[in-house]
Parts: sequence; structure tokens; C-alpha cells
Amino acid sequence: MKLEGEHVFNGPREAVWEMFYDPEVLASALPGTQKLEMVAENEYEGAMNVRIGPVSGSFTGKLVISDVVEPESCTLTVDGRGTPGFAKGVGRVQFIDQGDGTTLMKYEGEMNIGGALASVGQRMIDSVAKTMIRQAFEVLDKALEARLAAKASGSEVVDFKPPSETEFAAAVAKDMAGGLTKIPEVRLLMYIIPLVAVLVLLAVLFRGCSG
Amino acid sequence: MAGKYVHQSILRLEDPELITGNVQFLDDIELPGMLHAAFKRSDYAHARIKSIDVSEARKLPGVIGVYTAEDFGDYIKPGPLQVPPPTAIKGATYVARTTMPIAKDKVRFAGEPVAIVIAESRYIAEDACDLIYVDYEPLEAVVDLEKALQPGSPLVHEDLPSNEAGHVRQERGSWEQAVKEADLVIKRKFFINRNAGAAMENRGIIVQWDKHAKQMTIWCGTQSVIALRNQTAARLGLFESQVRVITPNTGGGFGPKINTSLPDDVLITYLAMKLDRPIKWFEDRRENFLATTSERDQVHYCELAVKRDGTIVGLKDFFYHNTGAYNPYMMTVPLNTQTHTVTNYRVPNFLTEFYVVFTNQMIVTPVRGAGRQYGVFVMERMLDAAARELGMSPVEIRRKNLLPANAYPYYTSIIGQDFVEGVLDSGDYPTSFQKTLELIEYDKFVNEVQPKLRAQGKKVGIGVACFSEGTGVGPYEGARVTVGGNGKVVVTTGYTSQGQAHYTTFAQIVADQLGVDVKDVKVITGDTGYFGWGAGTFASRGITVAGTATHLAAQKVRQKALKLASKILEAPEEELELADGVVRVADIPSKFISLGDLATLANPMRGTMEPGTEPGLEAVAYYGPPYGATGAGAVGLIVEVDPETMQVSLEKMAFVHDCGTPVNPMVVDGQIHGGIQMGIGDAFYEELIYDENGQLVTASFMDYLFPQATDMPKKLVLGHMETPSPLNPLGIKGVGEAGAIPIPSVFTQAVENALQETGVEFDRDTLSPSRIFTYVQQAKGA
Repeated sequence: MKLEGEHVFNGPREAVWEMFYDPEVLASALPGTQKLEMVAENEYEGAMNVRIGPVSGSFTGKLVISDVVEPESCTLTVDGRGTPGFAKGVGRVQFIDQGDGTTLMKYEGEMNIGGALASVGQRMIDSVAKTMIRQAFEVLDKALEARLAAKASGSEVVDFKPPSETEFAAAVAKDMAGGLTKIPEVRLLMYIIPLVAVLVLLAVLFRGCSG
Repeated sequence: MAGKYVHQSILRLEDPELITGNVQFLDDIELPGMLHAAFKRSDYAHARIKSIDVSEARKLPGVIGVYTAEDFGDYIKPGPLQVPPPTAIKGATYVARTTMPIAKDKVRFAGEPVAIVIAESRYIAEDACDLIYVDYEPLEAVVDLEKALQPGSPLVHEDLPSNEAGHVRQERGSWEQAVKEADLVIKRKFFINRNAGAAMENRGIIVQWDKHAKQMTIWCGTQSVIALRNQTAARLGLFESQVRVITPNTGGGFGPKINTSLPDDVLITYLAMKLDRPIKWFEDRRENFLATTSERDQVHYCELAVKRDGTIVGLKDFFYHNTGAYNPYMMTVPLNTQTHTVTNYRVPNFLTEFYVVFTNQMIVTPVRGAGRQYGVFVMERMLDAAARELGMSPVEIRRKNLLPANAYPYYTSIIGQDFVEGVLDSGDYPTSFQKTLELIEYDKFVNEVQPKLRAQGKKVGIGVACFSEGTGVGPYEGARVTVGGNGKVVVTTGYTSQGQAHYTTFAQIVADQLGVDVKDVKVITGDTGYFGWGAGTFASRGITVAGTATHLAAQKVRQKALKLASKILEAPEEELELADGVVRVADIPSKFISLGDLATLANPMRGTMEPGTEPGLEAVAYYGPPYGATGAGAVGLIVEVDPETMQVSLEKMAFVHDCGTPVNPMVVDGQIHGGIQMGIGDAFYEELIYDENGQLVTASFMDYLFPQATDMPKKLVLGHMETPSPLNPLGIKGVGEAGAIPIPSVFTQAVENALQETGVEFDRDTLSPSRIFTYVQQAKGA
């Protein structure tokens, strides 16, 4: 299944790319993440709790990042498995400088989903995905706004609070991030996990629409 | 042939107990020390198994054992064919790749078991499944029927050169000649969807091994106790007599429960012996969708050769049939499609050809209708297309081509699922068609009602379709009828029941022969401990085949009773009658002996017995027809389509059927009603959808829609016809699938008629509001 999507960030490309290096902000875009480990160069393993209607359980994911061209693009390959089924996908993310101070984020990829996630969760995943994607971008927009404001005022402290709906997500992100946030590779991963999750959810969303 | 009971609508004898909840279903059975099973199923439709780690699962407290293919050793091998191959058909080719009880090395459909857990409770067993880790190497899934046969397609069975599972071509007359004679050849392509049996009660099994008696008891809601017993005994090296299979009350079969040598019965019988504990497994609904066999998926390329006046000269139908990952049921479904394509009409030249295709989907075996409705659908759709192109009415073109009432027996030249040439034994198709037109008030609707409603902006339409149902096929069934010393009668048969009222209808047949009250006849079905011969519940053959065997056995008992009573009463047999539970001299009613006393005397305890005499008022009989009896009928439907939502409302349906002598007309009506509802599901709601990776995305009743009581036609009129079958003494034909067969045909026609101004034409048997919308948009060129 093919999937694609885009979102315009109200800020320059470097700032957007940089923002994705802040795990606290980015992980707040997606709740449920439990752990994250680097197992090899550009290869990571993580665990996430998934709950979609009657389908729930933990998901272990393997993620490979390739073709990193900072601050323009990268390719993500994710292979997640767990009691609710599996998800396997390849996605390419691009950040395009629109020349007017905004950045267009584009993603396209291919996704396979199986097990209960597909056979039972399919219908629920549709609305869950809609909510999550909307929330994720809301969080990211606000985060970017806060970062740009801090930069303008020369402040070291970024005054950003995720919206209340995502407080849980932020807490999970903090727990998850723990001591790992200082490691650059993990920082990179921090933005990739939510993106991949968004990709997965978008994939299902697209499936729902085309079926 | 009417009797005191036969042909009477007596109330179902089994209902009081069912209605008051005083019956036992499979899941009600609890045995001391019973363990529970759960399956770990594949999430992948097609993948190689690299390794399975069950160590964590085995550690879970309460888990007795976790087993993969490796643990069963040589016991694991593909199961036996459930249906013989079509060797009777000239030129037919096939390969057999039968069901694997548990995946070994490779999984071939999503839901295929890779491990089985036995635990103290079902909860623990399922939790343990979550702890099993299977390392898969995913492979590209084979999903598309036509692409599956193209070179370079991934292979479901890598030891085969392609995904082709079989090929059959049958021809009567000459299609080539038909094309020469025709004024017009109309071509269409049709898609047939995939449906579940979706019985209210899922599948399940309980196995108990008595190591002292060396006796196995299996409780299972199977449609064939005999097949389950025989295959289990053979696999475990036991005599058939060491295995007793009992079907408790069963909440519906609809076809899928005919299958045996499935993962559950193969593995659980083995483990119950090995562990020396009773084991229960009961399927949940998701498992039922994923891992209980379902039906079909066909793509038809069809050509109809006609004269300008609408006369059919020939038909050519080429189709692909999806058999899923394995083909234990061989070609029953596509052969039914072939035989039912042209049974209602005169089609002098007919060429029918199909390829059976392996895919990474669930195994295909019959579901009520079993391929018949697709033959009917193709033919009815082609007639609609011809009517459209020739500017005729759907009624006119049908009337012109229907087989006349004097055509029977009609030899079709097409070999069917019972491997003999299909013969239409009896019938009167023009009359049933005419009766349908009258009941649906076709002319009045088209000439008066429809124009008026259309003027009000209502999208109302009418359709009419014909169908036939090959029923009551061989090989045989048997029954034993025994009169007890209590004067009551017990009937035992190897046939199994899933709600078809056999406890009433078989009793009616016996009560008429033996002159007893129908309530004094107890019918026992589906217990090999009572009767060990038969084939199973399929092809609408219960009343026709097992019912006739029952009739013949009752006749034998009647002869025995008359002979013995004649001696005792000192009167010639011709002067005796059986009535009111006694044998009496017809003219001197005070001179009688009760059947109970006669039964006691028929089993003398001392003295001598005349040579050639068999004890007891008991007899066994078997019946096997030379070919099946064909029921038939027609249906008319009026619909209203909401132009905004495309929801279809069934305003009125008229259904005329002919199943020969109805043993119990009320039960026949019930079968028709149930069949119609299933047909409505087929036409508008039910669809198993696999995505391009072979994932079933409709594995719950939230996504697999089911017609509700409120989806039945607002007005339903049944019309009855009786042309007795010459094949059996009671003149019976089956009726179990009739209702389901013509509904998609009539539904598509009626909806098309309602949306006539859009010019829409449907090419698939299952519509939905969004599908209708899409078709209409396409027709508008939008």
C-alpha cells in the first residue's frame, strides 16, 4: 500500500530539522512509547504500547535510518511486531524550504500491516489515526512556535507546554527519554519514532479511505 | 404423497426444549480434569518460519504444554482429501495440496496455526500464545486470482510449477457452432465475492480418551460424524468402533462444519491421548473468520450467443475459482457453478471451463449455495444484458428460453459434484416463473405503480430471476428404525443436524408407516455410537437421502410387524392395519396387539425361532440415488433505492419454489426464509475482504456486515409448487439452499431497474451503498 502526506511548518527548514532533535517535544507527539535502544549504527529497537479498540498489546519495533541528508531528507525503514500483529514499512521524509519562511514536510512510503491490527483494528484505527495525526501536528506546530519565539528573544529556555490532551504523552516521553536524550543518535531517533508512527497510522487511514 | 403426518405442518418436536433452554450445546459440556486449547496463528499470509521460540510460553504457570509441528513428528502430514478428485470428467486435471494441521516451515494464509497451547484454562492458554515468538521471513502474498496464474507469480506451494490447482472444461453441443448461428454475441465479466458461513455457534471440539477402555469420545458440532470418526481412527491407528463422535445441539452449520482433519481435530485428539486428560477447544469469532473455511471468489468471462428475437443459441463461461491455500474439498464448488449455469433454460451449446487457483487466503469449501448461486448469477446477468442489448424485457427473454414443462428428465451433459451427468429429474419451470410474476404483480408494477412512484421522484425497481438447486446427491445415507417394548419408536441415523428439524420430519415419515403418534418417535442423529454409516450433511440431502432411508427402514419394520401380528392375531396380513400404536384387524378393531407387545414378542427369550427370521421390530435401510433431485423456482423482487444514501429497501419479494413433496411445509418455509436472509447478506452485506497482502480486514461483525431481521423484505410471499421427484418413494427434493441461490441475481436486476435512468449495470454479486454509488458515478461518466 502506498501512502503520502504533507504538512507545512511555519518556520525555516533548519529550525524544523533542529526541532526534531528535541526528544521531549517530539515524543510528546505520540504516547505509548516505552523504550528505545540503539543496537547498531543507524539501527534501533524500541517498544511501544498500542491500543486501538479491542486490539492492544506491546509492539517491538526495529528501525533503520538511511540516506540522511541534513537538513533535507532521510529514509526510514520500520519493522514492528507484537501481539497485535505487525507493521512493516519504508518511508521517505523530505523537508522543503518554501522560500517564504515556511517548511513543507512531505512523506511518502509503503506500508504493510497484519494480524489483529489489520483484521479487527482496521475500523477503529481509522479514527484513532485521525486524532493522533491531528494532535501530533498540533504539538509540533506549537513546539516550533515556542522555539522560534525563544530564539527571537535570545532566551536559552524554550517556553513550550504541550496541550493538555498530550500531557500523558509528554510524561511517557520524559520517562522514555530518561538518560538517553544526551546521545545524538537517540535524539535523531526521537523524531523518527513519532514520524514512523504517523506514517503507520496514515497508511491505515489511506487504506480506510480507498477501501 | 400426503399422509397423516407427511405433508402436514406439525410444530417442530425439538422446539419446546430449545426454547426453554433445556438442551446442551458443545460449550455447555464440562468434564472433570478438562484442559483447554488455544492456537497461535500466523499474522502473515505468506512467510517462511525461521524459528519458533516457545520457552517463555512454557514457563507460564498453568500451561501444560506448548507444541509446534516439530513436537508432533511424523504425525503431522497433509490431511486426506475430503472429496474425491474429478476423475470422472474427461480431460480434467488437478493437484491435491490438502490442509496442514499445523504449519511446518511455511505459513500459507493469515490465521494458519503455528503452535498449540494446552493449559488449565482458556485464559492461560491465550496468554501463553502471546508469549510465543515466531521468527518469520515474509514472502510476497498471492492474492489476485488472475495474476496468480501468470508466470513469475510467487508460489503458494513451491513444489508445484504454478498456482494452478486444477482445470476442467466441459462442452455440450458446440460453442463454435453457436457463434456461427448467432446474430449477436454479448460479452461480460463478473466478479463473485467471498462469504463466510458465519454460523451463530462457532466451531469447537472436546476430546476424551479413556485409557482403560481404550475408547475415545469426541463431542463436536461437525456436519459429518462419520468422516470425523473414520479419519480420526485411521490417523491414530484405532478401529472405528474405538472412536465415538457425538454432535450435541449445534447452532448452525451452513457448510464449513463439514470439514474434518482440520488443525483442531487432528491435534487435540492426539494430545488428549498423550496427556490423558480431556481437552476442549472452542473457536472465537475472529478465529472463525480467519481460520474456518469460507467460500469462493470467482472471476467469470462470459459470452452469450443469441438470435435477434432473444433465443439463446449458446453460452460460454470461462472462470477462475479461488480455492485458497489448500484444496481438501477439491472441486465441489466450481463444479456446482458449472452445473447450475444453464439448468433453467434451453441452451443448446454450452462451453464451460474453469481454472482452480491456489492463493494465500483461507481454504474454500462450500457455504450454503456452494457455488450454485454463481452459475445462476452468471446466467441471469447475461440474460439481463441480452435483454438490454436487444431491447426486450427481462421477463420476455426468460419466458422465451425457459425449459418447457415436458422436458424432464432433461440430460444436461455436464458432470457435477457427484461425478455423474447432471439430470433434471422433474419440474415445471414455466409455471413457477408465471406464478412468480403473478405474486409480485409484475405487469401492474411496471405499468401502473412504477410510473406513478417515479413521477414522485422515487427510485423503485423490479427484478425477476429463475434458479435451480441440485440437491440430495449420493453416495448414500442409512437409518435404523426400532420399536421398543414401550411401544415407542426410535430412529437412528448417521446424518447430523444443525437445526434443520430432522427430529420432526424424520419422525413424521416413520409415524406414517408405523401408525404411531409422531410424538412417540424419537430421532437420534449425529452419534456414531448409535449409527455408524453415512456421508454427512451437505448438498441439501438430509430429507431426500437420509429421509428416504428412514422411510425404507420404517417400511421394513412395518412388514415385520404385519408378519408377526398376522400369526398372533390369526388373520391374513392384508386384513391388518397399523394405527394408534397397535396392529389390528381393520374390520374388527377390538382384535389387536400393541406395537410394544409385538416388539417384546419379536425378541423371544426361550423356545425356537423360525429360520430366516430376524429378531426385534427393527430394521436398517440404506438409500443412494443414481443422481440428485433438482429443486427449482423463481423469485421476484421490488426495491426502492434512496438516491442520497443508496441504501436499498426491499419492499416486496415473491418466492416460488418446488421441492417436490414437502414432508413438513412449515419447515420448508423456514428453510426458504433462512436462505433468503443469507442471500440478502450475499447480495448487499456480507463480504470477506482480503487486502493486497492477504490480510483479512473484515474479521469481526463490525466489519463483516450481516443482514438483520429488519433487512428482510417488508412483504414476503411464498408460492409453493409440487412436482414430485421420481427418484425416491416420497417424491422429495431438497430445499436447504434454495432461498440463498437466486437473491444476488434478482437484487442486482431490481436495483438496476430502480436506477434505470442512470444506465448503470452491475458486474458483481455483492453490492453495498458505496458500491452502488460508485457504479452510478461511473455510469454517469463522473
